[in-house]
Amino acid sequence: MPKAGAFESRSPALTTPEDMSSEAALRHNAFVYESDDEYVARSAEFLKDGLEAGEGCIVADTRHGLAMMRDALGPDAERVAFIDVSSTYTRPAHAVATYYGAFLEQLRRAPSVRSVADVQVGPAPREWREWAGYEAITNVAYSHLPVWVLCAYDANGLPDPIVDAVWRTHPQVLSDGWHASDRFEDPRALLREFTPEPEPLPELRSFSAGEDLERFRELLARALVAEHVPEAKVLDMLVAGTEVAANAVRHGAGIEEVRVGRVEGRFVCEVVDRGGGFDDPMAGYLVPRDGTGSGLWVARHLAWRVESFRAPRGFTVRIWL
Amino acid sequence: MVATERGDEAACRQLVDAFLPAIGGVARRFDRGGRVQRSELMQEGVAGLLFAARRYDPRMNTPFWAYASFWVRKAMQELVAEVTRPVALSDHAVRALARIRAARREHLRAAGVEPTRAELAAATGLTRAQLDSLLATDQTPRSFEEPLGATATFGEMVPDPGAEREYEQVLDRMEIQEMSALANRLDERERTVLWGHYGLGQRPQTLSRIGARLGLTAERVRQIEVGALQKLRKAAAEPPDAKGGGI
Repeated sequence: MPKAGAFESRSPALTTPEDMSSEAALRHNAFVYESDDEYVARSAEFLKDGLEAGEGCIVADTRHGLAMMRDALGPDAERVAFIDVSSTYTRPAHAVATYYGAFLEQLRRAPSVRSVADVQVGPAPREWREWAGYEAITNVAYSHLPVWVLCAYDANGLPDPIVDAVWRTHPQVLSDGWHASDRFEDPRALLREFTPEPEPLPELRSFSAGEDLERFRELLARALVAEHVPEAKVLDMLVAGTEVAANAVRHGAGIEEVRVGRVEGRFVCEVVDRGGGFDDPMAGYLVPRDGTGSGLWVARHLAWRVESFRAPRGFTVRIWL
Repeated sequence: MVATERGDEAACRQLVDAFLPAIGGVARRFDRGGRVQRSELMQEGVAGLLFAARRYDPRMNTPFWAYASFWVRKAMQELVAEVTRPVALSDHAVRALARIRAARREHLRAAGVEPTRAELAAATGLTRAQLDSLLATDQTPRSFEEPLGATATFGEMVPDPGAEREYEQVLDRMEIQEMSALANRLDERERTVLWGHYGLGQRPQTLSRIGARLGLTAERVRQIEVGALQKLRKAAAEPPDAKGGGI
């Protein structure tokens, strides 16, 4: 692998990995770097090649990383969109929505997009799994867009489970040259594996609203107000809850039970239905198209977290505000 | 910096106040070499704390500060790296730095711990003075003799239990900027209907009662409510403007 100060100005190996000729759909690659110099040099080169070809370009990084990239890009930085990861990588559903919006913005004026994202790895193993799950979601969420996403990982101190997940979630990985991953896995199966089993929340209390969505909202609002949830957030839960309850009525053979309460500081609402439920771990992570799948997307966007699972009382969707 | 707005801003201030002593504790551990002000480090630490607050999940089975201190420290490291980043290094210096990094990695692989400067000097063939000089100009945020591992210092930096509880108390008011944006899509009449019917800041009212106040039938009020909720739903379904996450 090249070391600091030894980069070529154009690296064919970076811009033309094998099996990467299609421009019609997502290219999702990882880049494992060993120094800031290497990260900046290779990323800037990747983006400059894109700009030269008339592509839209995006960099997502910390403030420090963005500063380095701006320096490296020089005057070309004017033509690149910069995303601050501190306001994007707060939860996977928010990251999907933000990137999707950023890609669409670029695609309004360019035929395709290149994006470099410096992945921020936290200290908690549970979080590693969540963000590895986000990488799996990426393979599906943007699959129909002409975007080339390069996820950059700092090799220094990278935990083994993350290294493992990089190879399982990216079809090609650049470390000491491009490598097609022979460990790439089905994104849905991986997301299922990375999603923790929801724990029972016995502290929630139930109410019955029947099938009447207006009555459901009234009772939900009463519970939210009683818990002193701020008005703007009440509104969000009313919209998110209505989506989930409407799904239960339309597709879940009706609402069996609604349970609400505070858990670890957050307001939680569970809607239990009488149907068989769904088994797609990507549900709600994919931007709604053709008018379908928008209910869970809306709920995921407004809530802090949405979980779905089968419980003794029935199929349950749990919304954390 | 993390965006803050109204309730979110107040909540963030409350959280920051509670954890300021702990952030100060992290800042004290940095050898700033006179190039970074303590106030600058504190500011970065606050940004790290707020990022952590938005990402923290109690089910990680990690106390909030144990989690947040990682991001606080990382934010400070990045500032130090940014401020001390050299404008340009000679080829010779770049190669020497590469040798130091390689020696550090090799030592970490072999011994499982960070090398001392003496060990690095021995491994690279550089004098201690050359090593010190190069490391001072190195842009990497990691100081080789500072215990900055992800978990090594957690036990040493646990703030008081009161501060730890503060996280739950401000949750309701955090991340409120997105929600406020949603509410702003409503016109005055739609707000009156939704706020009145669902008892936001007042006692809940029936559609008939709200209608009487507005000079409308209950059915018309219901239609306004349905329209308002549709409007909110549509706004939430749109992918956010890229500027929301951009700078």
